[in-house]
Amino acid sequence: MAILPILQFPDPGLKEKSSPVAGVTAEVSAFIDDLLETMRASPGCIGIAAPQVGMLSRIIVVDVSGHRRGGQEENHGLLVLVNPEILARGGKQIVREGCMSVPDYTANVQRAQWILVDALDREGKQTILEAVGFESIAIQHEVDHLDGYLFLDRVSSIKTDIFRRKRYR
Amino acid sequence: MGHFSVSVMGKDRPGIVAEVSRVLYEFGFNIEDSTCTILSGQFAMILVVFHEKLKEVADVSPSFDEVRQGMGLQVTIHSLKAEEVVHEKSFSGRPHIISVYGADRPGIVYSVARELAQRKVNITDLNTQVVGSKERPVYVMVLEVDIPESVDRKELDGEFERIKKELGVSISVRPIETLEL
Repeated sequence: MAILPILQFPDPGLKEKSSPVAGVTAEVSAFIDDLLETMRASPGCIGIAAPQVGMLSRIIVVDVSGHRRGGQEENHGLLVLVNPEILARGGKQIVREGCMSVPDYTANVQRAQWILVDALDREGKQTILEAVGFESIAIQHEVDHLDGYLFLDRVSSIKTDIFRRKRYR
Repeated sequence: MGHFSVSVMGKDRPGIVAEVSRVLYEFGFNIEDSTCTILSGQFAMILVVFHEKLKEVADVSPSFDEVRQGMGLQVTIHSLKAEEVVHEKSFSGRPHIISVYGADRPGIVYSVARELAQRKVNITDLNTQVVGSKERPVYVMVLEVDIPESVDRKELDGEFERIKKELGVSISVRPIETLEL
């Protein structure tokens, strides 16, 4: 297990489209462990995508159960999703997102309230799940990484939607 | 060289942005920051522009005479010191959204803004609008504010409770939470 370095914008790797994973082999499984450890090493972090650590594979990890508000909503706990595909979306919600790959800014992003996702799970078994609220946002944000999109691609107003983080020195 | 703030206002119609930006381009200004909106049919535009050579308002202002006369727009220009120009909105406390609404009556904005100012709560965005029918106008105000850590929230909420009763409005304060992804 290892904590992997996070790519930061404008690293061109973040704008690449990731490739589907053929199956959850021992190698893929070991990578997922590293991805999880990397996510947990960052305080408050509730999701990460493989391309954020330079691996252009369609793998994301999400866990909102420890989040102050997300944990109170309906959620699946730790989710490992391989080749996730969002089959359907419903409703709208706007939440402020931060991203380890864009550390200096946060932004108000409009996402679907409800999503239906098709993916392979940690064991490589096909699964279909519904997600709502913060968990749904986290999955949409991470799936965006697999297609080379950052939250900056999703804002509608640079004036009212993007915020510089206060740096505490 | 210098930075200037330029405000343009006039009856809304197509072509205002094109005309203002043409003048800026032809006189060699760089638009560094800008925002535009329409308020009750008036187009309002605020820009921060930069010029490599010019630094006095008197040198810059005549550039806009064409816009003033040709389009009947009010154009006001001020010079800015370099240290006054900050490019991003930043928060030093906790960002919150405050929503206020109720039957339209005088003093709603002032009552809320006064309590915020007394506690050094910075308003970073403010929109107000009158909605509803002519007979029953409803005043809606949405503020984005930066609440310093030192502010006693219970005491501030107490003041808001007082305003709610006095003016018959609804006030809600909610933190802007950031999802760390």
